[in-house]
Amino acid sequence: MRMQPFIYLEPKSLKEALVMLDEQKEKLRVLSGGTETVALMKLHLIKPQYVMSLKKLSNLKGIQKNDNKIIIGSATTISEIIESPLLHSSFRAVIEAAREVAAPQIQNIGTIGGNILQDTRCLFYNQSELVRAGLEPCFKMKGRLCRAVKGAKRCFSVYQGDLAPALIAFKAKAKLEKKGGTRTILISDLFSGNGKQPISIEKDELLTKIIISLPEGRIGSSYQKLRMRGSIDYPLASVASVVKIDNIGRIVDVSVVVGAVGPSPKIVRETMSMKGKEPRSEDIDTIALAAYKVAEGVNNQPLSGLYRRKMIQVLTKRAINNSFKVIHGEQ
Amino acid sequence: MDKNIKRFIKLTINEELHELVINVNRTLLEVLREDLLLTGTKESCGQGACGSCTILLDGLPVRSCLLLAVEAEGRDITTIEGLSRGEKLHPVQDAFIEHHAIQCGFCSPGMIITTSALLKKNPKPTEDEIRRAISGNICRCTGYAKIVDAVKALADSGR
Repeated sequence: MRMQPFIYLEPKSLKEALVMLDEQKEKLRVLSGGTETVALMKLHLIKPQYVMSLKKLSNLKGIQKNDNKIIIGSATTISEIIESPLLHSSFRAVIEAAREVAAPQIQNIGTIGGNILQDTRCLFYNQSELVRAGLEPCFKMKGRLCRAVKGAKRCFSVYQGDLAPALIAFKAKAKLEKKGGTRTILISDLFSGNGKQPISIEKDELLTKIIISLPEGRIGSSYQKLRMRGSIDYPLASVASVVKIDNIGRIVDVSVVVGAVGPSPKIVRETMSMKGKEPRSEDIDTIALAAYKVAEGVNNQPLSGLYRRKMIQVLTKRAINNSFKVIHGEQ
Repeated sequence: MDKNIKRFIKLTINEELHELVINVNRTLLEVLREDLLLTGTKESCGQGACGSCTILLDGLPVRSCLLLAVEAEGRDITTIEGLSRGEKLHPVQDAFIEHHAIQCGFCSPGMIITTSALLKKNPKPTEDEIRRAISGNICRCTGYAKIVDAVKALADSGR
């Protein structure tokens, strides 16, 4: 399907871009790599009046090290992340997640900012206009019902970004800029938890940088993804974990984030039980069960909700175990 | 003419400069096929899933169905038509013929352009690297075995 007409804006500086955003707000859609925006415009799922390209904003591109922080421009491509030597040694889960994003051709043009801020998806929503025309509008389409869960009072669409769970596990931050203001918040706070409006940044704000502190000490991380094919597909369930141990092998911190089983990535809070101890499989089982409990399994993806939710438990164990293997140089 | 809806653009395609007036809501794939009649690049899913519309943008394979033509301005675009030199085929094209890596042929332009970029970057890829490089190109006929054979043969021969 062809895209509807729009006005194309091409700011030459960040300042100019922020003025355009301030003027047009929700009428404007930011185009970074375009791999999601163009696909949604072709399905007429979004019909922006203005499309603002980031292609001339070179200061939003690239990865830099600044003291103990890695700063990634929001328009940096997924391929640049995969190949970055600055990220390789310390942020394995981020690299693994980036390698799992869609397919190489998408990685070459899709950006980290676009990947993080992608919309939630649902088998009953991400369809052509023709298919949608025959269905009563759901919450996501400004209607009053959910087609995936009968009688539901809210939208059950699924957030299927690969990078956000890994970045949240590393407690990464997002720098948001707008005309006359800047704020830096945790990536986890970019999400509303509401499938209808999953991203909670202001209409005049632009995501400009992703900031991750370089971890100290002995650290290992892993990203596990469930999908039907070895490439192209969005995650149907995913888990990112980061494990930190001290010099004698006791656990200092464990961070587990699940993805693609709810309208936003979810942090598994029950990881405290492992702290201060040697790694034990029963503690990993406890965290995996907690991950299962926070996962939402709904039949609105190519695999059943029940199976995806059960797989969260399996992927959590794999992610934590792999994180330890990374620390011990076995991976 | 509202310059924000219709635009005059210059595209460098296969080392040739094309000057066009286009609507900004058109994809590069639409412009290649409809305006420039470069129909070697195929459209299949139109949603970035199948890889049949793959072209090279500054040497990197990308989906032309998800790329606005205006976004490609100032970049180096290579389509399947730009790989051969007149009657002389690109080594990847020769290898695909030799190894029967083509059946219906619809995925072939995307496969060939993707593998040509891989071999330029990495002339001796392993089988895993070949399979990863073409993992975004769907073929419904060959089962991929012949395609991988063709690329492996090129890697081994150093052509």
